[in-house]
Order: sequence, then structure tokens, then C-alpha cells
Amino acid sequence: MLDKIRPDKISVTGSGSCVLAPGDAGALNVLPFLKTRKMRKFMGKQDQLAVIAACLSLQGRTLSAQALRERTGIYITVGYIPFERDDIEAMARHSVEDGRFSMKQFSTDGIEQVNPLLTFRCLPNMPAFHVSLNCGIQGPYFVTYPGAGQFYLALERAVAALSAHEIDYALVGAVADQDNFLVEFDRANKSSLRNRSVRDAAGFVLLERNSGVAGAAPALALQELDVNYRPHDPWAGGSAHQENFAPDDAAADSAFLGAASLPVFLDQARRRNQGGELTHRVATGDGIEASSRWRMQ
Amino acid sequence: MENAVRRVAITGMGVVSPLGSELGEFADGLLAGESAAAPITVFDASHLPTRIGAEARLAAGAIALKDRKIAFAENAVRRAIDDAQRRGAALADHYDAGGGVSLGIGLELFSMPDMLAFLAHGGLPDGMQPLTFLQTPSDLCLHAISHEHGLTRPPIMHVSACAAATDAIGMAFRMVREGRRSWMLAGGSDSMLNPLGVAGFCKLEAMTTRNSDPKRASRPFDRDRDGFLLGEGAGVVVLEDLEQAQRRGAAIHAEILGYGCSFDAHGISEPHPEGDGAVLAMSRALRDARLATHDIGHINAHGTSTPKNDPVETRAIRRLLGEHADRITVHSTKSMIGHLISASGAVELIAHIVCAARGWIHPTINIENRDPQCDLDYVCDEPRRIERGVFLKNSFGFGGQNATLAARLAC
Repeated sequence: MLDKIRPDKISVTGSGSCVLAPGDAGALNVLPFLKTRKMRKFMGKQDQLAVIAACLSLQGRTLSAQALRERTGIYITVGYIPFERDDIEAMARHSVEDGRFSMKQFSTDGIEQVNPLLTFRCLPNMPAFHVSLNCGIQGPYFVTYPGAGQFYLALERAVAALSAHEIDYALVGAVADQDNFLVEFDRANKSSLRNRSVRDAAGFVLLERNSGVAGAAPALALQELDVNYRPHDPWAGGSAHQENFAPDDAAADSAFLGAASLPVFLDQARRRNQGGELTHRVATGDGIEASSRWRMQ
Repeated sequence: MENAVRRVAITGMGVVSPLGSELGEFADGLLAGESAAAPITVFDASHLPTRIGAEARLAAGAIALKDRKIAFAENAVRRAIDDAQRRGAALADHYDAGGGVSLGIGLELFSMPDMLAFLAHGGLPDGMQPLTFLQTPSDLCLHAISHEHGLTRPPIMHVSACAAATDAIGMAFRMVREGRRSWMLAGGSDSMLNPLGVAGFCKLEAMTTRNSDPKRASRPFDRDRDGFLLGEGAGVVVLEDLEQAQRRGAAIHAEILGYGCSFDAHGISEPHPEGDGAVLAMSRALRDARLATHDIGHINAHGTSTPKNDPVETRAIRRLLGEHADRITVHSTKSMIGHLISASGAVELIAHIVCAARGWIHPTINIENRDPQCDLDYVCDEPRRIERGVFLKNSFGFGGQNATLAARLAC
């Protein structure tokens, strides 16, 4: 079943991305992008990645405070929930009695080991909150989960909102905190991803209608967008994840970037300022088959 | 009908709730002002600060997984489709193109015993199923639902916390109105009545601790409210193009007229003190529905019974409606079934519709001493005859995500 969109009037006028090498989380510096430094304590790695990428995507395009507040939407895909092993091990260690899980120990001791801020650092809607707060955006939104296929759904909804003039700008992005033990566990159960290296990554593109790009240097025009789905029995296991970038596969990081693969690819291509056409195709393990075609201007 | 605006009808409803999983039973409990709050039984909460909740009433055999919300979602979907097909042709017979599903889904939280086993073994212990051990993926139920019902459009998952189900219905509404979907299942499912869920909310001091008096613990708009009561369940509606639904011979429960959403961009866990984001969401829903403020007869509030939400929502409603705020009714379903988090918007929408079908607005219970900052007509204690069919459904999420639906009851 085809669900093809031909949005010939939508362009990328800004982009930003942040990709971490393994063990490099300490290099993240989100402070320059925060409106209030004290909010840093509420932020986990995925929140920081999202804010950095989103703010970078807005840097080349000076939008008024009113435009950001009232006419900009956020369409974001968040990867699997990250829990850091240290936090969980401390809680688990203090939730045991006679070698078994004890609800009493968990309630009185185990949960006390957890930093109260942990909740804020792992909720899937928190990256959207931090982006909205630090970019001053009060527009409509769509927050979805968990992978590259769902990024296409976010992209589709952003295009629909722009086409309907519900908004004038769409910040469309994804963030994947993958360097944590629960995501590793999930990946280990998927044969097509088991041996892939991973990176923590976030990418955002700023979309707007071509008619509104005064003052912008549109770099990428969206030519075609196609999102399909293959219903399947999830209990029988998923299919292999396949992803292709063109024209230059090497331009995309060979590591698995999860939901952030396409926006990172677009940002990297924009920065290289290469001409011609870009295409991306993905068939995800959860049955989404999607593709997009972009033209460099 | 390419350029005309399509109208979108609710033709089926399915609910798994703390007041029952049959629509009639659900309406009976709501109109009787019954509280579903009770001591938590699904796990031993006896040593936690909050030991009460509103557990879903569903046959034990229907819940086979550790992750209850998956069973809730699947069950609510089946009920919604059955309800939509109670009259008229079957959906699969009427529509050439497959339908889609748009659901707000709660967090995937790991099982503590599983986590201990995982840490002890350094991985998946022998004999454990990868998909159900530790964290059953939240999106799994969307694919299971699509598979069971032959839905060929990409399923859509919303993770905007307490606003998720309202967002899910709003997006599905837009997609049917745009003509991009012929019909949609939309709603939400959640269950955080588990050790991590309850303990996590206790750490945030967000929940009521009125453990000795559970039936009076959820008290939206009351001066003595002390936090929300956690519930669980699922609510799903079937949305169709109104003309197509009429051609199919379906019964029409209500019509969705508009949807609006916004960010507060203010506080991580507290709403904007003047309700800026809430006003934006409600006004966008009205604009989307091409309604004026004086068209509104009723609001099903977010009404959580937290110290901050209730007066802010009241303030936002007054800012939006001006003098007309004194001519509408407002109620909170959470007063009886608690806060179903990612399922709340859908279950509460259904709550209003099923009661309105009998000619009544269900009450808000437990307002014994009104908070002076909460000064609207909350339909206290007794149900009220319904007079006007156009209403708003509000859902305001943790992290400042606000969503509102505008709808009209079937006459």
C-alpha cells in the first residue's frame, strides 16, 4: 500500500546534528544552548543531544521570537528509553533480601538509592520539553518512538502541517541514546543489528514552505516522501533492518544511529554542500518501509 | 470530495477502565459517582508512601503478559471495533483501503525481578523470552493490533505522557479529515501500577497519600487535594469520515470537530502559572473546529487533583472563555477513575460520551471544600442533565505538552 507524498514546496533551511563516539558522553556541552543553566541537572544524555542538534539547526535561520513561539512545531522521534547501568545497579543491590527481590527492601531502601532526577532524565517526552523550552517554541508537536521508521511519520506530519499552513516552520528531528545497557540488550535480540557499532546521535532539520524562505538559503528541497507498512506478527520476531543512503554511502556514518540516521545524513550532506540528489531508504525491523528524495539547491 | 472538508465521526468505542470494561457498566459507575480507588492489589505496595490506586476491571485471563497495558490496548481495540460494527456493514467489507491505528502508549518499564536476574547473569537468563523479559517494548502492541486486524497503514505511537491519548485521537482525526486514512483506531493505553511506576511517582511527590480513605483520595478542585490517584486502563475510538460511516449504516456516537496542541515551554513538572500553554491548545482546537468560545457547552477537564494543575486549568478556561466560563459546566473523570496517564484522554472522552448518550453529564466527586481558586461549575456530586452538545476534552502532560479536542455529541 503506497502512501506517497510529493511535497514539492517544502525545503530544509537549517539543520544540526550531534554524534558521539563511544564513551564520549563527557564531551557533550549543552550549557551554551540553555536558557537557564540550572536546567542542566534535569537533563540526561538524550535531552542534551536533542537540544544541541535542535539549536544548531536554528542557528543559520534567524526566526523571530513570535515565529518560534506561535508558528513553529516540533516533530521528534525518541529512541528506546535509556537507563544508565550505575543507577539501576544501585537500586537493584538495595532491593534484595535472602538473594531474591524484596518489594519491602525496594520500597524502603532500593528506591532511595535513585536520584529523584532520574525520572526526568529518561522519559521519552523530555527531549521535546527541553527543545521547546530552550528554543522558545509553543507550537504544535508530535512526539513518537522508537526508530527510523517513526522519524518518517514525524516528517510526514510536519509536511502536512506546513502544507495546511498550521505552522510556518517545522523542527523535525530524532534522538537516540544507544550507549546504554538496556538498548544494548534490545539490539542483541535483533540479528541484523547485533554486530553493528552504534553511536549516540541526534539530528534536526528545519523545514519550511518554499514560499516563505525570504532571508534563508534553502539547501535541500524535499522531492518525494513515501511511507509504507508491512503488518506482521511482532511475537514472531522482526525482519532485518536495512538502510541505504545515496549517492554516497560513506557519507553516512557506518555506525547505527537509530532514529537519528536520516536527519544526521541530511545535516552532513548540507554541510558538505554537495549538489545533486540525495535519497534515503529504510526497511525497519518493525515493518516500516520508507524512502525520501531530496534535491540540493 | 477532494476539496471539501471531511467531517469525522466516532463510530465505535472500547474501554478497559477501573469502573469496568463494558460501556454500559462504565456509564453506570460514572453516573452513580462511584470511586474506583482501592488499595493496590497487583503488587505489594504496602511499604510505599502511596498504597492506593484504581486498577482496571478486566477478566484475569485477559491479562497474560507482565506488561498489562498491552493486554488493555488489544482488548479495548477489539471492543471498539465490535462497537463500530454493531450496526451497519463490517469495516473491512466497506473500506477498500486498510485502516490505521494511532495510540498513546505508556512507558516501557522493566520488571525488577527480571532486572535482578539480568544483572546476576550478565544477560538473558536461559529459558527467558527476549521479547517479554525485562522490557516488553511498548510499541509491540501497535504491531500486534495491526497484525490482528489487518491494518495496512503505518501504526502511530505517541509518547507525550498525559496528553498522549488526546494527541493520538487528534492526529487520527486530522488524517481522516485530510483524506489520508479511510478509518482509524485511536486512543491510548497505560499501566504504571507496578513497583517502578508507583515508586517513581512517589519520588516526585506527585500522588495522593490518602491511603486510609481511598474513595475520597482523588478530589479535583477541592481545597484538600494532595496529588493524583494513579489508575490504569485503555480507551480506543473508531474514527471514520462521517459520510462514509452513514453510508456504511454505522451508529454515530459523536463528531470530532477540531484538535489543538501546544507546549508550555515553561516548567518541567509544573504548568505555566497563567495557563499559557493550555489556553493555546484550547484556542487552537476551537480555531481548527471553526467554533467560537460561546459555542462551548462543557469541558471534560484534565482535572488531576494535583495542587498545581486544577487552579491553573481553571484560570486558563476563564482566560479563554471570558464571561462565558460561567455558563458552561466542567467535570473531572479522574475524580472517580484516577489518572490513567497515557490512556487518560481517550478514556475520559469516552466517559463523557457514554454518559451524554443517556442525557447526563457525570459528576465530579469529592469536592467537599472548594478551592477558592477553582470557581467554575464542576457538576459536584450529582449528574446534571446535558443541555449543549459541543464540548472540549483537555489533557495536559508532564513536560508542558497540552492537547485539546473539540467535539459534538450525536443528537
